[in-house]
Amino acid sequence: MSNGSERTLTNRWRWLVAAAAAAIAAVTFTACGSSGGNGGSEAPVAKGGKPTGEVTISNWPGYIDPGPNGTVAEFEKASGLDVNYIEDINDNLQFFGKLQPLLASGNSGGRSLFVVTDWLAKQMFDLGYLERLNHADLKTVFDNITPALRDDPADPGRQFSIPWQGGLTGIWVITSGPGNEIHSMRDLFDPKYKGKVELLTEMRDTVPLVMQMQGADPKNFTKEDWEKAIEFLKKETDSGQIRRYTGNEYTEDLTAGNIVAALGWSGDRSLIGRKDVEWRSPTEGCDTFFDQMVIPVGAPNTAAAYAFMNFVYRPEVQADIADYVNYVTPVAGVKPILEKKDPAVAHNPLVFPPPSLLAPCSADPNPPGSPDEQQKVTEEFQNVITG
Amino acid sequence: MTIRRRLIPYWLLAPGALWLLVFFVIPMGFMAEQALQSGSLFTGGFHFTWQWSNFPDSLSGNNEQIVRSFYYAGTATVLALLISYPLAYAIAQQSGRWRLLLLFAVIAPFFTTYLIRTIAWKTILYDSGPVVGVFKTLHLIPQDGRLLATSTAVIAGLTYNFLPFMILPIYASIERLDMRLIEAAKDLYASSTQAFLRVTLPMTAPGIVAGVLLTFIPAFGDYVNATILGGTHQAMIGNKIQSLFLVERDYPEAAALSFLMMAVILVMVLVYLRLAGTEAFMGEEEEARA
Repeated sequence: MSNGSERTLTNRWRWLVAAAAAAIAAVTFTACGSSGGNGGSEAPVAKGGKPTGEVTISNWPGYIDPGPNGTVAEFEKASGLDVNYIEDINDNLQFFGKLQPLLASGNSGGRSLFVVTDWLAKQMFDLGYLERLNHADLKTVFDNITPALRDDPADPGRQFSIPWQGGLTGIWVITSGPGNEIHSMRDLFDPKYKGKVELLTEMRDTVPLVMQMQGADPKNFTKEDWEKAIEFLKKETDSGQIRRYTGNEYTEDLTAGNIVAALGWSGDRSLIGRKDVEWRSPTEGCDTFFDQMVIPVGAPNTAAAYAFMNFVYRPEVQADIADYVNYVTPVAGVKPILEKKDPAVAHNPLVFPPPSLLAPCSADPNPPGSPDEQQKVTEEFQNVITG
Repeated sequence: MTIRRRLIPYWLLAPGALWLLVFFVIPMGFMAEQALQSGSLFTGGFHFTWQWSNFPDSLSGNNEQIVRSFYYAGTATVLALLISYPLAYAIAQQSGRWRLLLLFAVIAPFFTTYLIRTIAWKTILYDSGPVVGVFKTLHLIPQDGRLLATSTAVIAGLTYNFLPFMILPIYASIERLDMRLIEAAKDLYASSTQAFLRVTLPMTAPGIVAGVLLTFIPAFGDYVNATILGGTHQAMIGNKIQSLFLVERDYPEAAALSFLMMAVILVMVLVYLRLAGTEAFMGEEEEARA
């Protein structure tokens, strides 16, 4: 082999290796995305009719009674549909971020129905990502919905969303440990719990609770209030006070006893693998939210989505769900059924909250201003949690 | 030589080239286009405007995560190398059946998905668990210390998850090593250390170089270990890109940042190959035989 050709071979090798390395790097770093979207008022109306075939439903983990006698299995039996029920939503924005490029091109990723929190449902509708609902196809829903939920400030006249379950955001504590002394947001930031408390990645849950702690008016959070709260969170995050920001995973850290308390959702008891935990409404005030069933644009088998909505609004079906998930049910007539079936749940204030519990709570707010200004706030919060 | 015969190597390259075109060049084109867009999702979407400022913008405020990614991936690579070399050497010394069994043991965890393996570490390392207990007893961490949600856990996770990518190439090069050369070195009065440094190490260098690349590059861009095993101050650049794409929905900046990180990796690889010497990649064994 001559020296010259050896040199070229070496060079070629070098470039092949470099190309291979670049390819690996590309696979590691490439994500995808697209753009676009137009208003919701021209969104198509989801078609009704007799459902057949397959249907895919996305929901949050632990948000329905599972098993062979669970609601999904019963729905399959009653409707003859083949249901693919997936629990792939852990955080509103992350789920939306994953789906957005598909929705922008009128594709729902095969899903006929999914459940997101009210403020996101509205945002998606405004972007034209949701189909409008035909009330004639939702008879059972409107026969049984709690009167107070018949209308929604985020969705007047229920054009695009049907409540799934509601709840309160507050503090889960382990009552057998030092966390038992935690009753307020202020307590969470006590240095003696350093590295032993967790907050939520959901900005609209975490930041409003901090703003209320700082004395801001929940009816009118200003831009300055948001900024002040995020600045406070940055300080507490940098000091190591906050162990992690989480979605539903805070329940794992509570189960393992890695933390003494965490911000969390009132109905998550079924996800926490220990008995000595308690949900508390922070003394400074709490958040309320309602998660909504929506039908995305391009959804296949929308008739099956309607059928599912109607099915879970049957009081006896809803009683099973409420009994398992322990969130606030949107269906009237569930309490009398549970009085007989499971009196403990029927008298659980987190499932049927009395006005005294709801009074200090306010709905998850959006930051003030234009979408771009809201995005700026989101960015600041993300910078804190990915510190 | 006929023209047709000369074309044969190119035909052999075709499947690979097609793969690169479809899964690398074209996506890169899309990403380059996206990196130069401006606008926002809620006000009419993104549009291509030669927005070069996305590149410097994407770097601002992310220095910490970039430095951290180098530190974590670098440490994990060094640890993986220190674990892999003796292990691969030991495996290569075994006879047939043992060798197969040990190799299988290296690959076996891969039958479970990456995510599950990483989540399993949460159960192993939980705060009141035996591992943390032993660490506390040995005073390796303070009494109120922890392993989860720390840099240690993330680096350990990265090392564990990418270890086979280091072991296998090193094993392949050690296995090919001609033991007679070491005997010859010893005949020529080399000590064991000298024989290792002058014969074994240079001849297995291709495996080391390949292993280091295969470990460092994916570890650098990883975000799973930092998400699952890290806390508030373990976010790597992969987590930042994920947040930009999925939560902040600033696609152009996310694409620009991905591009810059890729360029950084590419430059580093070229410098590394130059320093390590490309012969290391070709294998001196081949040259020695020629």
